[in-house]
Amino acid sequence: MTADRRPQRDPRHPDEHFEPYELDASIPWPLLGIAVALGVWGAATLFDTRRHEERAQVERIEDTRLATGQAVEPGHALFEASCATCHQSNGLGIRRAVPPLAGSPFVQHGPELVANIMLRGIDGPIRVNDALYDGHMPSFASVFTDVEVAELASYVAARWGENDRVLEAAEAAELRGRVSDLGSFRGGAGVAEDTGLALGDQPPFASGTLQPVAPEISALIFEGRGGQWSCASCHGDLGQGRENTPRLAGLPADYIRKQLHDFAAGRRLNESMAVVVAELTDEEKQALGAYYSGLRVPSNARPDLGGDLERGEQLAREGDWSLTVPSCFSCHGPSGFGVAPEFPPLAAQHAAYTASQLAAWAGGQRTNSSLDLMEHISSALSAADRRSVADYLASLPPVPAGTGDTLAAQGEDR
Amino acid sequence: MSHETEKDARAKPTNPRKGRYVKHLIYAGGATLILAATGALLYESGLIPGLERPDQTVASGYFQAPGNDQIPDSPFGESVRRGQAIFMNTATNASDHVGNGLSCANCHLGEGRQPYSAPMWAAWGRYPQYRAKNDQINTMEDRVMGCFTFSMNAQHSVSGEPPPHGDDIYRDLQSYFYWLASGAPNNTEMEGGGFGNVPKTELGYSPERGQEVFAANCAVCHAGDGQGQQDLNGRYVFPPLWGPNSYNWGAGMARINTAAAFIQNNMPLSQPGTLTDQEAWDVAAYINSFERPKDARQGDMTIEETRQLFHDGDDIYYGQEVNGVLLGVGTPDPERPVGAPE
Amino acid sequence: MNNYLPLSIISLGILAFATLMLVIAPGIEMARPEPPAGLRPYTAEEQRGRDVYVSMGCLYCHSQQPRAPEQAPDGERGWGRPSVSADYFYDSPHQLGTMRTGPDLLNVGARLPSESWHLTHLYQPRAIFDWSIMPAYPFLFEVKAKAEEGDVVVALPPGFAPAEGVVVASQEALDLTAYLLSLDRTYPAPEDGIRDDGYRPRGDAE
Repeated sequence: MTADRRPQRDPRHPDEHFEPYELDASIPWPLLGIAVALGVWGAATLFDTRRHEERAQVERIEDTRLATGQAVEPGHALFEASCATCHQSNGLGIRRAVPPLAGSPFVQHGPELVANIMLRGIDGPIRVNDALYDGHMPSFASVFTDVEVAELASYVAARWGENDRVLEAAEAAELRGRVSDLGSFRGGAGVAEDTGLALGDQPPFASGTLQPVAPEISALIFEGRGGQWSCASCHGDLGQGRENTPRLAGLPADYIRKQLHDFAAGRRLNESMAVVVAELTDEEKQALGAYYSGLRVPSNARPDLGGDLERGEQLAREGDWSLTVPSCFSCHGPSGFGVAPEFPPLAAQHAAYTASQLAAWAGGQRTNSSLDLMEHISSALSAADRRSVADYLASLPPVPAGTGDTLAAQGEDR
Repeated sequence: MSHETEKDARAKPTNPRKGRYVKHLIYAGGATLILAATGALLYESGLIPGLERPDQTVASGYFQAPGNDQIPDSPFGESVRRGQAIFMNTATNASDHVGNGLSCANCHLGEGRQPYSAPMWAAWGRYPQYRAKNDQINTMEDRVMGCFTFSMNAQHSVSGEPPPHGDDIYRDLQSYFYWLASGAPNNTEMEGGGFGNVPKTELGYSPERGQEVFAANCAVCHAGDGQGQQDLNGRYVFPPLWGPNSYNWGAGMARINTAAAFIQNNMPLSQPGTLTDQEAWDVAAYINSFERPKDARQGDMTIEETRQLFHDGDDIYYGQEVNGVLLGVGTPDPERPVGAPE
Repeated sequence: MNNYLPLSIISLGILAFATLMLVIAPGIEMARPEPPAGLRPYTAEEQRGRDVYVSMGCLYCHSQQPRAPEQAPDGERGWGRPSVSADYFYDSPHQLGTMRTGPDLLNVGARLPSESWHLTHLYQPRAIFDWSIMPAYPFLFEVKAKAEEGDVVVALPPGFAPAEGVVVASQEALDLTAYLLSLDRTYPAPEDGIRDDGYRPRGDAE
C-alpha cells in the first residue's frame, strides 16, 4: 500500500466534507510482545495439559482392561492387595485365626484346588498342619475375573505349594461355571468330600440353621407399607445396593438398627431414609437389621471413582500417620469385614457410598460415629484420598456373613 | 513513530509532553505483563530451580523413618521384611514364644514409627544401655527378650520362654529396627522417643474415676470388659488390656505412669492428646487394677517378695489389694500352652 | 471503507477455521459408529417417557453429563463416572443440559432404582425433601376413591396423601419413571471413548 492517501489540502481551510482517516501507525512493540508471550504461554499450557490428558487416558485404559479382565496384574500384586490382608505377605496366616498357605496340603494339591477354594470360599472348621481353624473365607468369585483367578491360583500354588502347574484362564472359567451353584465349602471336610482329594483328618462340619423371616418384615422389605417404599426397591432384592445406595448385606444387625435410629434422630441426614424410618418400630428396626446381617451376597461394587488404588490400599492397610490417620483395618478388621457392632464391614461396599459418607463426616452431615472417630479421620483426608480408599475397599470380596447357603442360591451374579 | 510530531502538533497543541507520558506508562505496563507472563510460564514449567512447591505431606518435627517402599531388594531387605512381619504379627511369626494375644505393633504404633509410641528409630541408637530393671548392661537383644518375657507373656507360650539368645527372631527384628533408624543419630535421646511423660496431678490416680473415662473413651474398641475384640475369624482387632491374654505383671505397661503416657500420647487411636493428664492417669490406673498373668520373675517367691524385689516404689498395683482383692496372683495357667496345636 | 474483498475473505476464512476446529474436528473425533457393550436401546415405554421428559422441560434444570472427579465430586454424589460420547448413542437429540439446578440424571436409574420412590417424588418432591425447589407434577397423577386392578398406587407419607382416596399414577408418569430408571451408564467407559479426564494426573496431591 502507498503511504499516504490523504487529499492534499490547505490545512488552514478544512474541507467540510472531511472524512476521518487513519494513519499508518505501526503496532506498538509492547502489544506485539504481549501477544507473542500469551501465544507461547497458551501453547505451553496446551502442551502441558495434553500430556496430563494422555497420561489420564493411559491410566483409564489400564483400569478398564483390569476391570474387564483383558489384562491382569502380576500374581504377587494381586496377592498383596487381596490375600495378604488375611494370609499375610509371607503366607503364614494368623495363629488360630487364618490358616497358613505355606506348607498347606490344600495348596500343595495345585492351582485347581486353590482356584476352587477362591471361587467358593470356606466356612467352618478346617485343619491345616495340625492346627485347627474355625473361620470364614469369602468367595472371590464376584471380585476376580477368570484371568485373575488363574494368575493368582498359579502364583499361590507355585510359591507355597511347590506345584508348578499353571492354571489357564479357560480352565478357571470352566471351573467357575461348575462351582457357581455350590455355595461355599463346608469346612475342611467339605473340601475333601467335594473334591475327593486326600487332605488328612478334617473336623466335621456342623450345619447352621437359617432363621425364617417373619411375614410382616418380609412385606416391609419387598413391598413397602403405606407411605414407605420397600427396602428392596432401592437397596436391591439382596441388599446389595448400587452407587451411593449402600450395600446392606452382611452389616451387623445392631449397626443397622443404630443407623435407623440415627436417621430418625437426625444424627444422619438422608431425607429418603427419614421418610422410611418415621413409622418403623424398634422391633421392626431390629428385625430388619437381623435380616440383612445374615445375607451373604456376591459383590457388585467396582472401584469406579478413578481413585489411586495403591494409595487406597496403603490407607486401608497402613494408614497415613503423617495425617494422624490410622489404617481402616486397625478398627474395621484386617480384611475390612468389620467388628460388630460399632465397626461395620467396609469390604465390597460401593465406592460412591463410602466416599460420600467420608465426605458427609468431614462436612458435618453425618455425626454419629463413636468418639467422633470418623469425623476426625475423614476431615484429615483429601478428596482424592477419600476416592482412593473407597475404590480400594470396593475391590475387596464381600463379608462372608450368615451361611454359605444364601450364596449358593444366588450363584455368581456379577 | 514517524507521524508523532505531526500528530502532536495537529491534535493536541496544549501539552505535548502528556501523551508521551501516558505512552511511557502503557509501555511500562506492557513490559511488566510480559515479564509476569514469562515468569509464570517458567514457574509453571518448573524451570526455576529452588522453586519446587513444598512437599505437602506433613513435615513433622520428628525423625522420619523410611517407608516400606524403600526396603531394599537384597538379603538384608529380606531380613527387614521378616523382622517387620514378626513385629506386626508376633503371635504367628514368633509363635512358640508368644503366650497371649499381643504383638509388638500393639504398643509400637505405625509399624514402630509413631513418635511417643516408643518408636524403634529412637530406641535403636539407645542400646546397649544399663537398666535398673535387671541391673546389667542390656543390648537390644536383651531388651527385646524382655518384651517377649513380659509383654508377650512367653511363660504361657508353647516353648514357655522367650527366644533364646542368638535366635533368628532377634536377628530379623534388629534388622528391621536398624533399617527404621536409617540416618538417625546414635546414642542420643531423640525427640519423640519412648512414650513421653504425663505430669503427676494433684488428685493422684483412681481406678474409680478411671472406670468412667474407660467407659466413655475406650470401651468402644477394647470392649467393656477390656478383653479387646476379634473379627469373625477370631483374630484380635483390638488388643486385650487385662486378663489372661494381655501383658503380664512384669511388663512396663503394667506400671501406671508408663500406661498413662502411652494412653495420653496415642489413644484414642487417631485422637492423641485428647485426654487430660488426670484422665490419662485415672484410666491407666483402672486398666492396671485388674488381674493379669503373673510376673514371669516370681518363680518360687511369694508375691510380697517379688513386689519388694522388682516393684518397690513403682506406680503399680502389684502386691496390693484393690477392691478387697490381692493383685499379682496371676490369671490361671492355661490348660494348654497358648497357640499349641489341638 | 474499501477493499471489501480481502475483508470478506479474511472474515469468512476465520469463520471457516473456527467451524473446522470447534465443530467439525471434535465431531470427527467423537464420532462413534458402535454403541458401548453395556448400553441397550430404549424400550417403547422408556421412549415415551423420554418424550415426557423432553416435553416437561426437565432439561432446563437437570443435566445428563457427569464431570471428571477433578472438576466436581460427581462420583461421590453417585452421579456416575464422567460420560463419553458413546453413552448418548441412543439419545437423539441428547439431553445434556447445561444447568444444574437439580442433580445430574445420567445415572439416576442406578442410584435411585426405586419406582415407587420416583412416583412419590414426581407427585410431590416436598414429601421427601422439604427444601426441594423442584416443581410438583400432580397432573401426571389421578386421585381415585379406590385403586382399580392394574393401578399403581403412589406411596405418600402422612400429610401429603389426599384426605380421601388414593393417588394413582397415569401412564405418562409410569413412562417417565421407566425412562428415569433406564438411565444407567455405570458400565465401564469404552476404551477409545474421548472423555474429559480433568486436568490433573492421578497421584498428584490435591
